[in-house]
Amino acid sequence: MPDKTITIRATRYDPEKDEKPRLQSYDVPFYDESMVVLDALNHIKSHVDGSLSYRWSCRMGICGSCGMMVNGMPKLTCNAFLRDYWPRPIVVEPLNNFPVIRDLVIDMDDFMHKLKSIKPWIIRKQEIPLGAREHRQTNEQIDDFRQFSECINCMLCYAACPVYGLNSEFLGPAATALARRYNLDSRDQGLKERLPVIGGAEGIWECSFVGECSVVCPKGVDPAKAIQQTKLDTTMRFVLPYGNRD
Amino acid sequence: MDFESYDVLVVGGGLAGLRAAIAAVEANPRVKVGMVSKVYPMRSHTVSAEGGAAAVMSADDSYDTHAFDTIKGSDYLADQDVVEAFTREAPVEIIQMEHWGCPWSRNPDGTIAVRPFGGMTTWRTCFAADKTGFHMLHTVFQTSLKYPQITRHDEAFVTKLLVEDSRCVGVVALDIRTGRFDAITARSVILATGGLGRVYAFTTNGNICTGDGMALAYRAGVGLKDMEMVQFHPTGLPFTGILITEAVRGEGGYLLNSEGERFLKRYVPNKMELGPRDIISRAMVTEFEEGRGFEGPHGKYMHLDVRHLGEKVIDRKLPFMRELGREFVGIDIVTDPIPVRPVQHYMMGGVDADISGETPILGLYAAGECANVGLNGGNRLGSNSLSECLVFGAAAGRAAAHYASSAKPVTANPVDAMLWDEARRVEAEYLEKKGGVERIGPIREEMQLEMDAGAGVFRTKESLSRLARNLGGLRERFEKVKVDDSSRTFNTEITAALELDFMLEVASSITFSALAREESRGAHARRDFPERNDAKFLKHTLAFHTNTLAPRLEYRDVKITTFKPQARTY
Amino acid sequence: MTTEAHTAQPEYRWRMPADWWARQRHYFLYVVREFTALPLALWLLWLLVEIKRAGDGPGRYAPHGSMPFVVFSVVVLLFALYHSYTFLSLAGTILHFKVFDRPVPSRLIVLSQFGLWAAASVVVGFALIWFAR
Repeated sequence: MPDKTITIRATRYDPEKDEKPRLQSYDVPFYDESMVVLDALNHIKSHVDGSLSYRWSCRMGICGSCGMMVNGMPKLTCNAFLRDYWPRPIVVEPLNNFPVIRDLVIDMDDFMHKLKSIKPWIIRKQEIPLGAREHRQTNEQIDDFRQFSECINCMLCYAACPVYGLNSEFLGPAATALARRYNLDSRDQGLKERLPVIGGAEGIWECSFVGECSVVCPKGVDPAKAIQQTKLDTTMRFVLPYGNRD
Repeated sequence: MDFESYDVLVVGGGLAGLRAAIAAVEANPRVKVGMVSKVYPMRSHTVSAEGGAAAVMSADDSYDTHAFDTIKGSDYLADQDVVEAFTREAPVEIIQMEHWGCPWSRNPDGTIAVRPFGGMTTWRTCFAADKTGFHMLHTVFQTSLKYPQITRHDEAFVTKLLVEDSRCVGVVALDIRTGRFDAITARSVILATGGLGRVYAFTTNGNICTGDGMALAYRAGVGLKDMEMVQFHPTGLPFTGILITEAVRGEGGYLLNSEGERFLKRYVPNKMELGPRDIISRAMVTEFEEGRGFEGPHGKYMHLDVRHLGEKVIDRKLPFMRELGREFVGIDIVTDPIPVRPVQHYMMGGVDADISGETPILGLYAAGECANVGLNGGNRLGSNSLSECLVFGAAAGRAAAHYASSAKPVTANPVDAMLWDEARRVEAEYLEKKGGVERIGPIREEMQLEMDAGAGVFRTKESLSRLARNLGGLRERFEKVKVDDSSRTFNTEITAALELDFMLEVASSITFSALAREESRGAHARRDFPERNDAKFLKHTLAFHTNTLAPRLEYRDVKITTFKPQARTY
Repeated sequence: MTTEAHTAQPEYRWRMPADWWARQRHYFLYVVREFTALPLALWLLWLLVEIKRAGDGPGRYAPHGSMPFVVFSVVVLLFALYHSYTFLSLAGTILHFKVFDRPVPSRLIVLSQFGLWAAASVVVGFALIWFAR
């Protein structure tokens, strides 16, 4: 059987030379059915053009580094199989809605600030000493927030969110899901400290339910659900007399 | 060129590094802590750890049995005082992680649950489903965000340790985004850069595991300890090297050869699937050689079968395995056996450090996989490494903070010159070099294949000598390397070159340490010396950097306290 | 909280292309849903006018019934149904309660919502027709 090839059209952008991004084509040998887009990029970097820049590490869908637009959809490139696109070319671009540093590398500092702003740590009025051993928590209590704790910060949901694309001040899907992860944790007492950010001007109420964040999430986190549930909960706190309990 | 100064500087943002940073701050809230990592901390390879973290959690377990299991697992190459301290600290650290929000899986009464693991005589592995490393890393990273004393330099690549009068005073780091070289100075420096799996072709390790910290310390004159001890995990997915957690066997999965037989009965009859990794990996390779493996497009493999566990147990305890099978192999582990074969997984060896992470260089500490504090010896038991990151990360953080509070401040004068020299070196060797002909990628790929062939599950004098020669050839080719990318902005070809430089260093330390250890112990299996030789080799290997490819080797006695070396059978 | 050491660097500022909503089915449906709010509002405004006119008593009231308006009303009804569908489907995602300590599956919640909606429509329709006789 003659060796198959597949065409990768990847974004190239070097701020030292280029006004704006452009696409460059590379033909890549497609020799194994289990090859993914990331393998194709690695082939380019190793054997064709060492200057192509992108982030990657674990190649098993858990480190969250290798998110890119693959034929217009946000994907983890370690989990986008060439066989699903061949024989047509694959266009690989940096994630939408983010500033581009170089080639396929986006600037995600904005998310890092948002992550910090929702205080993603256990907040307690009174810490229990280590000697008192663990908080008791049942698997059912973990189930309440488990889904939202599975976020790998891959930024696909931000790339899919037109609200974020139009207004980068929006807190966005992953940060809200992580805020909910802590708010629903039976060990946490920090809801009131997180409310100003979650319920603030650029918080959950900016979301007009496109729902695409949950569609593209590679980990089944469902950030849209987190946002809508938070809307309901904050409304209940506002409306109901006992709503402002801790 | 810039100049930042800290009391404690942590290199590496994985579990050990983050734990060290928090420990330093909690030991002394006035310390200024810097953290340099070549990736955003939540990308660190801790994220891929699956099975769990070992600690004595219940009344019917004891520190002594955990210590004995670890020491026996290490084939008596572990330092026993270190192991004993580790077993006492591990439960405290597990509880600390719980208080920080780690979603440990629970018993019905709400206490932290444990599962069985290879080489452990009792159930003591705490877990968060089968994404333990992911949950621990995100928990400790998110917790670290609350400390104003910690300043992070994300995506900065450390190229050199600044050592002045045999004291470490900081690092030179390349800011990947801008291409600028910075001197980041500190009264104390903690290396927590993780493993070196990428020197092998078939590895579970991520692209970032290139042994940077080991090479940095090695070049600064610190010995690398027991580098011949490389762990091969029995169950990696062919082609991708994706790890199938040992918890699959812990939960009751079977390893079957092509005859449908649980072949481990011939190798570890009392432990079966819960034997230690080194022995099971050797058993698999032996079965392959004797013609009882499955043949696949990516080489021979075995079946790992969990079908008898049922969907409910699999979804509760091994959901990520099901996801990986579905996404990356196209199988459902509820109805199909998983193809697996041994894969490079972990480095027992590393930067020579003591029980509190101190290296022989004043002010330089090391923790986690990049360090060898003497815990793992010849073979690490599964689930001891996450606990190791916590216990020894915290220890190094506290020790570094303590040292920093009395150490002299770092002066700008010599640092400026050192920064200038280092920046010039990297620019001359890569960015501005004329006449290079060799690509980075092919040299790296050849090195990886050579390492698989020469320093794999089984080694011989011949395989290692050939490997040593070929590494020499690769080093010569690397001198003629050519870098396509002339940009300063996010130049990942420069970092790939720096990483390959580091990997060639640590690969040769592995090869020569392995060549000199003429016995079989733990993960180091010499076909030409199949027996353990306590009289001659109950010792740590220490490899020191020289101007040639071959390191200078020294040996140091293993610390034995309670457990006298015996035959290691399971 | 932690700080990050920062360096400013030229970057390519990403802008949403003007036709972003036409590039994907989900985005298109979303924009349609957002857009339908406008005709819905207009129709409701007209309803207010009608109510005002009906205030003069049944004898002199004749509702506006031109063909274009009927068509407009039907289209607006379809829009309103689309909004209702979105809203009720969301309920399954948002609402979470437990029966006998087990979470109720979201499909069941959605189905019961649609069931309630159908029941309410029948009751309202019946009452309108009954009292109109």
